[in-house]
Formats: sequence, C-alpha cells, structure tokens
Amino acid sequence: MKYPECFHCGEPVLTGSQFTTHINNSDRLMCCPGCQAVSAAILEAGLSNYYKYRTEPGSKQTALVPEELTAYSAFDLPEVQQDFVHSESDISRVSLSIDGITCAACAWLIEHKLRHVAGIASIQVNTTTERALVTWLPTQIKLSEILSQISLIGYQAAPYQVDEQEIQSKQNSRQFLLRLGLAGFATMQVMMFALALYAGYFTELEVEFRDYFRWVSMIFAAPVVFYSAQPFYFSAIRSMFSGRLNMDVSVSIAILGAYIASCIATVNATGEVYFESVSMFTFFLLLGRYFEQNARQKASVSSSNLHKLVPLTAHLISNDTCEEVPAKGLKVGDIILVKPGEVVAADGTIIEGCSSFNEAMLTGEQTPVQKSDTSEVYAGTINVEQPIKLKITATGQDQLVAEIIRLQESASNNKPKVALYVDTISNYFTWAILSIALLTYIVWKIYWPEDAFWVTLAVLVATCPCALALATPTAVTCATGIFTRIGIIARKPGVFEKLTKIDHVVFDKTGTLTCGTLTITDIELYGQLDKAQVLEVAAALEASSLHPIAKAFEPYNNPQLTVSRIQSFVGLGLSGQINNIDYRIGSAEFIEVTGEHSQAVYLAQGDELLARFTLVDEIRTDAKATVQTLTQQGCKVSVASGDGSIHVDEVAGRIGITDVYKGLKPQDKLSLIQNLQKSASVAMFGDGINDAPVLAGANLSVAMGSGSAITKNSADLILLGDHLSRFNDAVTVARLVDKIIKQNLYWALGYNLFIIPLAVTGHVAPYIAALGMSASSLIVVGNSLRLLRVRL
Amino acid sequence: MSIIYVLIPIAMLFVLIAIGIFFWAVKSEQFDDLDRQSVSILFDEDEKPTPKANDNESTPS
Repeated sequence: MKYPECFHCGEPVLTGSQFTTHINNSDRLMCCPGCQAVSAAILEAGLSNYYKYRTEPGSKQTALVPEELTAYSAFDLPEVQQDFVHSESDISRVSLSIDGITCAACAWLIEHKLRHVAGIASIQVNTTTERALVTWLPTQIKLSEILSQISLIGYQAAPYQVDEQEIQSKQNSRQFLLRLGLAGFATMQVMMFALALYAGYFTELEVEFRDYFRWVSMIFAAPVVFYSAQPFYFSAIRSMFSGRLNMDVSVSIAILGAYIASCIATVNATGEVYFESVSMFTFFLLLGRYFEQNARQKASVSSSNLHKLVPLTAHLISNDTCEEVPAKGLKVGDIILVKPGEVVAADGTIIEGCSSFNEAMLTGEQTPVQKSDTSEVYAGTINVEQPIKLKITATGQDQLVAEIIRLQESASNNKPKVALYVDTISNYFTWAILSIALLTYIVWKIYWPEDAFWVTLAVLVATCPCALALATPTAVTCATGIFTRIGIIARKPGVFEKLTKIDHVVFDKTGTLTCGTLTITDIELYGQLDKAQVLEVAAALEASSLHPIAKAFEPYNNPQLTVSRIQSFVGLGLSGQINNIDYRIGSAEFIEVTGEHSQAVYLAQGDELLARFTLVDEIRTDAKATVQTLTQQGCKVSVASGDGSIHVDEVAGRIGITDVYKGLKPQDKLSLIQNLQKSASVAMFGDGINDAPVLAGANLSVAMGSGSAITKNSADLILLGDHLSRFNDAVTVARLVDKIIKQNLYWALGYNLFIIPLAVTGHVAPYIAALGMSASSLIVVGNSLRLLRVRL
Repeated sequence: MSIIYVLIPIAMLFVLIAIGIFFWAVKSEQFDDLDRQSVSILFDEDEKPTPKANDNESTPS
C-alpha cells in the first residue's frame, strides 16, 4: 500500500489527511501537528520560497512539548551564558549549532525568519557546518526567545563552544587557500615569461629583454617562495629538530636553493633561472595539501558539540524548595530533581523514586535500564519515566563521561604509528641527495671550480623530489575525492595503508549491524480486534511514553483516540482508558502471560489478552552481504557487543558470524581488541560513546554516520550514509591507491636514478632539468588522476 | 618590442588587483560555505515577498 507523503518532511502519512496547510494555493498534506505548525509558521513569515527552492525535504517535526520550550530559559542565566556568549558594549554574540538543516533553503529560511525579529542585529547560517552566528541586543530580546523563534520553524538550536582544535583547523584551512591562490596567480604569470625565455634559448633573444623577463619572473616568484611555501619550511625545520628528515627538507632546499641561485643569476645576468619550476612545484604540492586539510576539517567540525551530552542546568532541591541552577555550580552531596525526559546533570545515587534510564550515550544500548533506590545513575543519561531525586556523587572531571573521554585519549596516544612509505623512503632519499650534491660540489670545486656551483644546483633541481613528493598526496587526494563521493570520510592520514592490511573485522551490534531502532515485525491476535485496531490502541497508549519501544508504535498513531487515566509502571508497561475501556500494554510479566520471547509486547483489554507484538532491532540490509564479501577476501569477522542477551547470538547467526563476544564493558572491548591485535590487524566498527576507547585502540576504526559525536571524533573512517557495504568499497579503493602509489614511487625513483648520473657529470642543461622535473610531476599527477575514473 | 616595458607593469598591476580581490573574498568567508553561496542568488531576489509576488510564483506547475 502506498501512502501519500507529508509535504514538509516527506514521511508517509499513515492515518489519512488530518493535517493540511494551504501552500501556494493548494492544500498540502502534513503527517503530524508538528509539521503543520512549522509549515504554517513558515508561511506566516512570508517565506513560502523555502518550499520552492529546497532540494531536500525538511526534517520530521514532533510537536514541541511546552516543557521543551521553557527549557530554553536556562540559557538566560548569566552563569550559563558566560561560557559561550561574547558581549561587546551593548551587543552580544553567540554561535549556535542547529539540528535539522538539510539543504541551503533551510539556511535561507532561518536567516530570513530571524532577520525581521526585533533585537537581532545579524544572523549568518552555514549549511556545511550546520551552525549559525547570531548577534543581538540583550536589552531588546533574550537568548531563549531567539532559540524558540528558531524552533518555531522546526529547527533545534543550542549554543556550543568551539574547541581550540577546530578554530586552529579552520584558520589553517583558510591560510592554505590564501597560499594556494597566490601561488596559482603567480605561477600563471611566471610560466608566461618562462615560455618566452625557453623560446629565447633556441632562437636569439636580446640580452636586454632576457634580463627584463628574468627580473619580472623573480618578482612574481618571490611571494610564492616567501609566503606560499612557508608550510614546507616549518615542517622541514621541525623534522630536522626531531632528527628524522622528511620530504619537506629536500623540497625546501630545492625551492630555496633554486630561487636564490636564480636570483644570483638574474642580478649577475649570467647562469640559468628556475623561477617557473619553483612556482609550479610549490603550487602542485600546495594543491594536494589543501585538499587533505579540507577533508580533515570537514570531519572535525562535529566534535565541538560534545558538551551537549551533559545539560547546562539542574533542579537543585534545598530546604524543600526547587530552583534551577547552572549545572557546573553543583557540588558533591547536593540533591537534585530529575524530571522525566530530562538529561541527568551529574553522576549520583537515587535517594527517592524509581525510573528507567536510557544509557545509550554510555553503552550504545537503546533499551532503558531500570534503576531504583541507591542505584548509580550517570551524567548524560536520560530519565525515561518518573521524576527522581538524586544525591550527587561526582561532578565535572570525575564523572563517567569524562572518564570515558580520558580512556579514549590515552588509547589514541598508545596507537602504533604506521609509518607511511614516503616517510621512510624520504628519510634515506633526502640524505642521499644531500650527500650526492655535497660530493659533486667538492669534486667539481677541486677540478673545475668555476662550474661547481651551477652543476651542484642542476643536481638539486633535476633530482628535486617533486615526483616523489607528489606521488602519495595526489593519489590520496583523488581517493579522498572518491570517498567523499560515495559518502565516506577519511579522517586521518595513513588510512589507506591501514585499510589494505586489515585481516580481522570486529563489529559492535547495536547501531552498526542493526539500525538501532525497534520495529514491529510480527503481530499475533488473540481477541476480536483486527490488526489496525490493536495497533491504534497500542499507539495511543504508547504515545505518552518516551521509551524506545513506544517509538515503534509512533507511525500508527491516530490522534482521534484519546487516552485517559494513563499510568506508567517502571520497567513493565502502561495502563490507560480509551472510551472508558481499560487497556494495558507491556511485558509478559506485566500482562501475566507466560512469555517465551524477550522482545515482545503484549496488549490486554481488562484481563483478556488482545495481541502480541514482536519487536526487532532490524538488521541493516547490507550487513550480510558485507560480511560475506569480507570473509571471501580472507578477513575474520567477529561481533563484540555490550548487550549480554540472546539477541546478540540471534543477530550474529542471521548475518553469518560465528565468533561472538557479548556483555562487554568498554574496558573489556579494549582488552579484547588488544588480544586480537597480537595476531592480526584489527578494524573496529562502532557507534556509541562506549565504543570510543576501543575505536581509538584498534588499528583502524570505523564509525557510523548516525553515531555519537565522540565516536566520530576518535574514528579513522566515518560511513556517512550508514551503508556497511561502503566499507568493502573503501577497501577496494585503498588497494587501488596502494597500487598507484607504488607505480608513482617506482617512476619517481627510476627517473631520479636516471637523471642523477647525468646531472653529476654536468650534462643536464637547465631546460632539460626543468623539463624533466615537470614531465615527471605531470606523469605522476596523471597516473593518480586515473583513480577518479573508478566506478563503484 | 620596447612596448613590453609599459605593458608588463600594467599586467602586473592587474594581477595584484586580482590577488587583492581573492584575499578579500577568502577573508570575508565567501569560501566557507560553498553549498549555500551557490544558490543564494535564487533567494535574495525577493527579499520581502509581497502577497502578489506569492500569487505569481504559485501558478500551477
């Protein structure tokens, strides 16, 4: 059966056309009151162009709970604001991270909606980073009002703090673009004059004009050498201090040497000039680095939002009064109230009430854990059912979240450094070139002192490791391009080498092999109601619940059914009245039937059993095929899950994995991986924050795009579209990259071996040196570009 | 041939201007969000849509 689609969010409308909005002269179907409210607000603000130009449907809107709106008022507390609001005279400025941005039209929508709000001085939305920069007049409008204005049109905004690393990487990226652009402009000019000079080498060019061209080339090459090429010099100096020469040393020597020698030649009007080689070489190298830097910056953007895990405020109970205070002001021993749906602000023990907690943030498991008196609860977890009182046992850096982040950091520091090919080769290569140049200089100085300098320079230029230096970056740049196209982000250098070596793959279960959301797979009827009816009743009962099981019923919700006297029983189920008939929904224990399936929910009318719903965390469609391909390629495959139930074996069995480890804590997973690493190179897939340490410890770590921010922050690869099979494609590309890099290196080394004897003996004319250098670079670049033709 | 003594400095001036514009563009964050800038021209045409403009654009498609 084909359902009509919601005009706003594109989700199927399951319960007929109850919600409509009049957009552009026709009534459009909406799936829920949330989408309807949002679309109405958009039209009211005169922004119907959003629907005209958007390229992606909006994000699904769940009707906002009034509590959620009042929660924004916490952001008005001065103690909370001082962390992320910057005030200059009477204007305040804040960076917001916005959930729900799907395309450029969203940015336009937010900007135009807010621009006309009194008190907002300016707003700039960036779609790539999903962030907004807002300046406002605190005397006219409060921050909480700005946030609720944004939520009116369907986006969730929250202030965030940009971390140091991200500011740094953004600045680097911009610097690189400036250097690259300058080098590009200058190279074009220098090449133009170089052509004239080449022509003059064969025909007769008047010395006067030749010198003029040289002077002009020198001026144009100067900014390239002194500004654009700076990163190479700094890297070279760093590597010299660490005692291990890298490619940048010989690159720097070649650039500076060739430029200074050419300047001397220009001033003295003798010898040869190499300005065009210097500029072009710098431009090519910078291009590769710029793409690398950009890919890395894109991936690191999400990492700033980590602090969202722990809320900013808490309800402090003192002398029987309850007041909202900033969370960072809490002390050990304080008593706080945590309402249902709220995130716990600090680690503590329950002193009153019982409820279940969603600890997905820590364990990756969506099923809530039941807790009562004296149980430990952790900051960042979500209270699902009942209000509870909590006595704080740890704050700030002592909390479990902070502990996990530290564990991850220490694991990533211990990571075995897989040396890049070029790092090893370049060390020897640079030493070799420098020794050869020095020897050449000494020998020529003894026998033919007047030519010594120029021959040595020819050696340095001709053997200039451009091809060698370009071999890896160009191939990696092309492969990164392919990755971006197919929805994979390679976060760290060296990923391609690691990918080719992997021979054991370990999967986390929830969220990796499975989608992480429950769906109803089977309905068994016992009473006189039909399937549609029991689903509607169940959905109506579950509508008030925050439990993940309730989410599975959400699509069947019929707003015409109203439930009264709803009661929730922690860890068991719900009861309520619909049309004066008592219904109960919940576990086998709650309905008092003998249950044989762990993942089943029962619905009863009074004492009569109506239906059984079987819920399954659906396995990703491509999981089985991915595992099969991996096994065929000779990889061992295992499952390591924090979940200890039979469900793990069931999932593993259906996918065809026999090696199963279950009920593992983050530390257990880490030691499991370390054990496996003794005999194999291990790739780890994960999505929860609990996977962060083990991801940092594995040889190669892969995070799902839907995973938590901290997981993505510690992963080497991120699969954006959540398609597991993309990992196989990544391996294929990596093998190809490996092959191309080797070809490039063989070519570059071969060329150098051929040209060195000629250069040392003084047989290389400058135009041959420049030609050879350019040709070898172009061949390497062309070979790498072949990668872009790969179709997956 | 001696005309190049005049023409080349003029060309250099042009390049300088181009570089200046490029630096200004980068510093004013025009390259920060390429997705957004490429379509902004579609939107900014009608900064304040009047009811009439709405009618025009909503002719049945």
